[in-house]
Amino acid sequence: MKRALSGFNRSLTGFAAAAVAVLLLALSGAAFGHSPLELLTILVNGSVGSRFALEGTLLKSVPLLLTGLSVAIAFRAGVWNIGGEGQFIVGALAALLASRWGVAASLLAAMLAGAAWASIAAAMRLLRNAPEVLTTILLNFIAIHLLGWCVNGPLRERAGQYPQSDAAAAALPLFGSVHAGVFLAVAASVAAWWLLYRTAEGLRLRATGFNPSAAKWAGINVKGQLARAMAISGAAAGLAGGIELLGVTHRLFERFAAGYGYSGIAVALLAQLHPLATIVSALFFGALVTGAGELQRTANISAAVAIFGQAVVILVLIGFERARSRP
Amino acid sequence: MLDLVLDAIPLAIVASVPLLLAVQGELVVQRGGIINLGIEGTMLVAAMTAVLAAQATDSVLLGFAGGIAGALLVALLFGTFVILLRTDQIVTGTAINLLALGLTSFIYRELQQDGVFVDSIPRIEHDVVVPLAWIGIPIVLAILLWNTTFGLRLRACGENPDAVAASIRSHRALALGIEALLAGLAGAYLSLGLSSGFAENMTSGRGFIALSIVIFGRWKVKGALLGTAVFGLAAALQYAMQAASSGIPFHLLLALPYVVTLAILCGVAGRVRAPEALGKN
Repeated sequence: MKRALSGFNRSLTGFAAAAVAVLLLALSGAAFGHSPLELLTILVNGSVGSRFALEGTLLKSVPLLLTGLSVAIAFRAGVWNIGGEGQFIVGALAALLASRWGVAASLLAAMLAGAAWASIAAAMRLLRNAPEVLTTILLNFIAIHLLGWCVNGPLRERAGQYPQSDAAAAALPLFGSVHAGVFLAVAASVAAWWLLYRTAEGLRLRATGFNPSAAKWAGINVKGQLARAMAISGAAAGLAGGIELLGVTHRLFERFAAGYGYSGIAVALLAQLHPLATIVSALFFGALVTGAGELQRTANISAAVAIFGQAVVILVLIGFERARSRP
Repeated sequence: MLDLVLDAIPLAIVASVPLLLAVQGELVVQRGGIINLGIEGTMLVAAMTAVLAAQATDSVLLGFAGGIAGALLVALLFGTFVILLRTDQIVTGTAINLLALGLTSFIYRELQQDGVFVDSIPRIEHDVVVPLAWIGIPIVLAILLWNTTFGLRLRACGENPDAVAASIRSHRALALGIEALLAGLAGAYLSLGLSSGFAENMTSGRGFIALSIVIFGRWKVKGALLGTAVFGLAAALQYAMQAASSGIPFHLLLALPYVVTLAILCGVAGRVRAPEALGKN
């Protein structure tokens, strides 16, 4: 009973944080002379108000769910993977290159590439003691410029008109206007839940994150555990990039990642790092991103307000949690 | 090629000023036990408020004051969370960066429609920031950290907070204030001195590079100068290669600073000791 209640309390905190973020968003619009009520209406209608809007929200939630899982797994293991953005990009690059061999091979390549990119940071941490919080971020910048080079150079479309790649040779099957990546993402979150809570690997992973020295004394190979957690985390972010390419954009271009990697941090924290709760959290942020896009189209307000909303959610969450847990 | 690099060195000395200021600011807070990942966002906000203040007053000096004020506001938010509420420093810093990026992009678009960022900004006539960043501030910081009671206590806050008789909070808050001053100066110099205005996400990772250089410099002022100089040399090389049209694609040259930073981190990080209580609340 006590456990259920605390779970309920936690969800309440989450909903409160989300509500505060949306309210602050409307208020900052008001500071620049927009009507807050009108903004809220656009935000809601643009994200859940019509079938078209709902589909948009669902599509945006897919990469957010996967980058959210990526962050949740890494943070559970106690490694700071802030590199979702870079892993997302290299995942998409690999997916594009492997797309001639079909969807399955393409997505597999995306996961492997994401895992490999994250493993660079893991290797630097384990072999050279370089903090992964910095190396993963630096690798993001490198991936962004690598992508810039690819779409302006070797992978530039044959027509040569825009700095973008040709369309990938494979695409995810469509159900109506929603691609099959939706099911893959949900399956991934169930798999992540299974991994974390129903396997020995997951127990070791969580133990390592909870208390590395205790985990070491319990006979866990902490270094290996960190390396595997980082690789799994990177694979999830890479898969997000692959699915976004094969399901939504079909081409690569310079601003392909659009902040999905960083957004994953807000998604995971709102879900309290729980893989199944991440589904709900990703839907919320998917709606926020979609609604913000509508704000930019109809009210000419920067879609970057979605990033602002993510930051507010994180700050309200951690502030509230600490304020409550203090003696 | 060598003369091209030599020609690029003066440019690199000037261009690395925001980075150098950020490194020194981060050095101070980390000595006190706080990792401020949010320095990236702090500089970004400062770059914007500096332009706004400079345009409103038509004065460079007040522009810099505006930049510092913006940075102090961000530091106040970060400090409230990290020092008062004792939230996780990495998560808070990441949130601050997202907040700064979202807020500045939002305001930029709002005010651009009013033509605010289109007007030209006043130019710096006598550039005192460069000697200040490379000579004046390092001397002051070295004395402050190693020859004052405040410095001793602040370093104790970073090594073993339990051993500090005085208030840890006030020492860390003051260190954060010093960092905000330097990060504000850095952001203002970025938008008023190096560029002619604000651009979205114009800090482009300088804050994270600064954190890496603090490690490279082993949390010492001398090391901060040396690390920034090494990095500046790499930047000069990059400019020279761009000027010489070396055949290396432009986008790969853009990635070079981050590759150099990774190399720097891997080269030294294994052999340095961080302040004992760094990052712990």
